[in-house]
Amino acid sequence: MSGRVIVITSGKGGVGKTTASANIGVSLAQTGVSVAMVDMDIGLRNLDILMGLENRVVYNLVDVVEERCKLRQALVKDKRLPNLCLLPAAQTRDKSAVNAEQMKKLCGELKALFDYVIVDSPAGIESGFQNAVAGAEEAIVITTPEMSAVRDADRIVGLLEARKEEISQYRLVLNRVRPGMIRTNDMMSVEDVLEILSVKLLGVVPEDEQIIVSTNKGEPIAGTDNIRSGLAFRNIARRLRGEDVPFMDLDELNANWFGKVVKFFAPARV
Amino acid sequence: MQVVNWFFRRKDESVRSQAKDRMRLMLIHDRLELPADRLSSLEEELIAVVSRYFDIDRQTTRFDLQQYERRAALIANFPLLRSKC
Repeated sequence: MSGRVIVITSGKGGVGKTTASANIGVSLAQTGVSVAMVDMDIGLRNLDILMGLENRVVYNLVDVVEERCKLRQALVKDKRLPNLCLLPAAQTRDKSAVNAEQMKKLCGELKALFDYVIVDSPAGIESGFQNAVAGAEEAIVITTPEMSAVRDADRIVGLLEARKEEISQYRLVLNRVRPGMIRTNDMMSVEDVLEILSVKLLGVVPEDEQIIVSTNKGEPIAGTDNIRSGLAFRNIARRLRGEDVPFMDLDELNANWFGKVVKFFAPARV
Repeated sequence: MQVVNWFFRRKDESVRSQAKDRMRLMLIHDRLELPADRLSSLEEELIAVVSRYFDIDRQTTRFDLQQYERRAALIANFPLLRSKC
């Protein structure tokens, strides 16, 4: 087997990288493929919490790299999906604990075992980012429609462009989109951001308080039916698998009676 | 000089279009590693060079930074009044 290694990155912190990693991992696994999620945010481990697996972490990525355990021993199986695993980051080490060569080797081993390897990159553009992308062939750039996040995403796109040899494609996920604010011209739209960054779109995820609830429960939102943000992540997974899934109409989000009236007179283009 | 003004020829003053315009200009500078004052000095030099050959209409002289995918292009428009030679 040779799986696809996809790094999830953003430049700026706090735009939803880890949330996206967890949800894309879960969504892919739900389609039946085997998935390993790798937390590369060494020293600031969080993916285990989002997955609700923090109590099951025994070994971590640095233990594997430093050969204190076998790869299979460090992989934590998901509670619900038997075909989904997490390779946790070390919490008590820092970004220098792993180098690019070691990461390449690790990704090579993982893609021999799994259909998809999802690497959650740390924020920033320094060594942590460089190591996270070292073993990847594809990238997902996460941003929100805010100026600072878009600027940092552009830096990341520039760095990915410079790695064209290794990173064959990268696509954008626009997170925390607020259709109401776009409609009132208080926020950049999806088209605005795509035009400015000049990148391909992989998905649009609406702002959703339920994400916080799902983090608190340790159950990624993609596992829950009837929630728009969860559906957005499931659509992203289907697009990664090559399906042509139309982008959802974010106007439907404000689909109370008032929202419908507003939409009728002033449809938002998001 | 007019470098900032020409860029902000807004159709409307909405926050969204302000954000988009600022964003685009910022990223063009970022990608080219261009300091903020660099374009205005280029603009002045270009006007000086063209003015050695032509009388130009300074009022309607325009510079425009455009984005083509991830590249930028500087479009200059010098209305020429008469040749100086």
